[in-house]
Amino acid sequence: MASSNIYVGLEIGTSKVCLVVGEVRSDGAIKILGVGQHPSAGVRKGEVVDSETVQTCLHDALSRAEERSEVEINTVFLAVTGSHIESLNNRGTIRVADEQMEITPEDLEEVKKIARDVPIPKENGYVHSIIQHYYVDGQEKVLNPLGMVGQKLEADYHIIHGTKTRIQNAIKCVREVPLEVEDIVFAPVAAAQVVLNREAKNEGALLLDIGGGTTDYICFVDGAVVASGCVAIGGDHITNDIALVLKIPLSRAEKLKVAHGSASLKNIAHGEIPIEGESGKTVEQELLNQIMNARATELLSVIAEPLRNQGILDKLGKGIFLTGGSSLMKGIGEVTSDIFGVPVQESGSASMSGPSALFENPQYATPVGLIRYAQLLDEQRPKKGKLSKLGQRFEKILGGKR
Amino acid sequence: MIEYDESVHGELQLDSDLGVKVIGVGGAGANVLDRMALEGSDVAELLALNTDVRALKNSVSSEKIQLGSTLLKGMGTGGDPALGKQAALEAVDGIREAVRGAGMVFVCVGLGGGTGSGAAPEVCRIAKEEGVFLVVFATLPFSFEGQRRMDQASDSLTAIGRYADAVITFDNDRMGELIVPKDGVTQAFAAADKIISQSIRATMNIVFRPGIIHIGMDDLLSAIKSKDSRCLFGYGVSKGDNRSHEAVEQAMKCPLLDRGKLLSEAKAVLVQVSGGDNMTLFEVQMVMEEVSKHVGSETQILFGTGTDKRLGSALSVTIISSVAGPGATMVKGREEPADEPAPVSLGMPQAEVVMPIAAASASVKLQEPKPEVLAEVPPVMEVPELPAGEDSELDDLEDMTGPIGEGLVDESVEEDETLVFEPLDDEEEEVPAYSPVFEAEEEDEVSDDRNPIARAVEDSQVADTGSIAPIQPLDLGLAPVSGDSSSEAGHVEAVTEASQKITLTRVVGSGNTGRIKTRSPGDGEGRGPVMPPTKPPVISGEGLEEDIPDDVRQQQELLQLEPVVSKGRFAKTDPTIVDGEDLDVPTFLRKNR
Repeated sequence: MASSNIYVGLEIGTSKVCLVVGEVRSDGAIKILGVGQHPSAGVRKGEVVDSETVQTCLHDALSRAEERSEVEINTVFLAVTGSHIESLNNRGTIRVADEQMEITPEDLEEVKKIARDVPIPKENGYVHSIIQHYYVDGQEKVLNPLGMVGQKLEADYHIIHGTKTRIQNAIKCVREVPLEVEDIVFAPVAAAQVVLNREAKNEGALLLDIGGGTTDYICFVDGAVVASGCVAIGGDHITNDIALVLKIPLSRAEKLKVAHGSASLKNIAHGEIPIEGESGKTVEQELLNQIMNARATELLSVIAEPLRNQGILDKLGKGIFLTGGSSLMKGIGEVTSDIFGVPVQESGSASMSGPSALFENPQYATPVGLIRYAQLLDEQRPKKGKLSKLGQRFEKILGGKR
Repeated sequence: MIEYDESVHGELQLDSDLGVKVIGVGGAGANVLDRMALEGSDVAELLALNTDVRALKNSVSSEKIQLGSTLLKGMGTGGDPALGKQAALEAVDGIREAVRGAGMVFVCVGLGGGTGSGAAPEVCRIAKEEGVFLVVFATLPFSFEGQRRMDQASDSLTAIGRYADAVITFDNDRMGELIVPKDGVTQAFAAADKIISQSIRATMNIVFRPGIIHIGMDDLLSAIKSKDSRCLFGYGVSKGDNRSHEAVEQAMKCPLLDRGKLLSEAKAVLVQVSGGDNMTLFEVQMVMEEVSKHVGSETQILFGTGTDKRLGSALSVTIISSVAGPGATMVKGREEPADEPAPVSLGMPQAEVVMPIAAASASVKLQEPKPEVLAEVPPVMEVPELPAGEDSELDDLEDMTGPIGEGLVDESVEEDETLVFEPLDDEEEEVPAYSPVFEAEEEDEVSDDRNPIARAVEDSQVADTGSIAPIQPLDLGLAPVSGDSSSEAGHVEAVTEASQKITLTRVVGSGNTGRIKTRSPGDGEGRGPVMPPTKPPVISGEGLEEDIPDDVRQQQELLQLEPVVSKGRFAKTDPTIVDGEDLDVPTFLRKNR
């Protein structure tokens, strides 16, 4: 295996298309070689609705990324999201054959297969099956049961699934550029690789990725994913709300939101804000905040309720990590901690070299996370035959290009 | 390793008075028998009944009775159920002789044709008269076989339902789904026969094979007793290390279970696990864990297990249950009031149902001597003369019964027995004024007034809501009512009320009008198909505007307000609906409205 690998993460977001080229060094550090991005069009609520327009944006972003990183990009890891993506937890149980004493890799595959065998809608396919914990003869939270002696092996899996065709459409759109899609990753799964460190995952943390068209979340407790999902509401909705209530064009609503808006209702500086480009028209700061607060409160409640009912919110030792473009909105942290009743952390950047200033910006959490995800996949590769084949192909493609 | 002792449970212990007989009536029935014989039937005696002597000759059943040997001279019935019935009556002594002394009789029949549809009810009647426990497995014809055969099948099913202790129906259209379309016809029918024969075998095993944890007839009946239900049956058998999981998986794959999805709706699920002597407690436990993943927390799980030496190293899992809804039907005949109309399934027209409703209204007339009510009866009585609707006459009926039917419609909406005649009380006392229908005190008073026929009607009504698919144009039902001039005001209100109710029945679950929440609290689970409301044309089309009560008018205005709310840039996207609210509409506007 080469001493370093280059991976490309691609996120086709509702507000921007972003490609990040990263090099994973032999010591595990990631160096970002270049970034290409372009404001996106033809994407609604995290999903491609106009393939051609998206491809134009993607082309632009691609050429920029190639230019900056001086890498010819052929394959990418693609982040997917959308309201169709759902998750559930399931436990698989197998009985280890009598004559064999130790738990073998085949047993692990078998238990995974059983854990995955849950009734999901016919049109859905698996995006991820993430191991939570193993149990060997009732012994809890075994991290690696390989080689252990036992008769009964159980495994808790977190299964993320989504509508096949809708995921295929995203892949198809990228392939027509043409770029090969190495793997698809549910966006918050990728973002968590960057935003949450091991400590946060172990102590319990919720990652909220408030993007343009969707808000994705993933929740870790005891180092394992316990919940994840996507709500098709994001920053665009806030802009849309402002535009509809104040009856102004979207572009002006967006400017108003970014420049003056806040999701908080506390400490409102009373006064009228002039609306740019509309002579004489003003809006009260209070009204603007109310519009934004109403939306933010509702959005966060939709996510918080099921988590609260499952008792997950009490286990978040590290609190909530906000990321995504809309997390830059003023007051959002305050509203979030009010609704979840859990402190909100300032998200810092993970260990990374390169033009790192860029990656403290929460807008890039997902594409950078894709590279980290690729790196993790690479580490697991020797264990899994199927993946190593992929890896060889991958190296063949990328290895010679540097 | 925890293992069961080698036990004596393995052998089937049948008392002489508990003989099992499987009777196949007609061609389809014979096919199932052949399949059972092919797979090595247990102890059951197989009896084939057919009119066609050639088909009978080909059957491998141990006993055969030719039906209508003098009437038909060995030919078939040519699809005429009347002939089938005559033929069966001719052989009545033979049939009686054959079922006499049997403890349990399974009748398999393919409905729709002449012999099956005609003879099966007679066979059931005879078997019932002999006092056996009778379970009928019936297949319904493919929809492409035409309406006539469908009608014959449903008539026959109704008749069978009167005698049988349990009827399990298999819908051929649905059976078709379990085969890959490119599979041969032979395979398709073989698969269908196989499922039926497995069902029979499993039922037999469950009931007769003594288990460590025994499942009896009572358990079986409670698993399948809901009315107008769809039978869920799954059977899986597997060998090897991971046999428990594989067997459950196979059982779940059975098309009638739809990968276990349908199980979550079932009220009771019967699970029988049997295996050879080496079946372990752990395996049983694993099977039950797997199954419990698929059922709701409220579901009653009837569990049974036993060892069966003949299974050897294999382990079998049988899952039997039923859910309400369209599709194949299962009736529990005996516990219903006499002459209860059979279950309606597949949205087939059911002529039988018409009569009890008319009868019920007649009995209502007796209870309610007031002229207003009497005047309202004629439209109801006209019902049978109306041209049959394309899908279900019941829809029309609900509409046409007007004020009287309101009770029935209410019933179908509420599924609450005590409410049956309460609205009628309302009519009687305060016809001119619109008043809220649901009042607790009145419910109590009237709950005792119900008579058996009325109960039968409400049962059928309840049963029907599940299976009625398309909503009927309401003006059809309105015509006779508005033509009756004796009590206009009362009518208009009632019709409006009834038509709204009908609308509500279909809208339940979509949750986009406030009225649903306030008017029908019992409908939270949203039974039945969700249909868009269609009432406005009814009211305006009949020129009844002046008579619409105030609250109804307000309702209408409110409804018109809905689409005004703008979604801006999200107007053309998939709506994001959470708890019935469209979240694409600005929160600010929704909360401040």
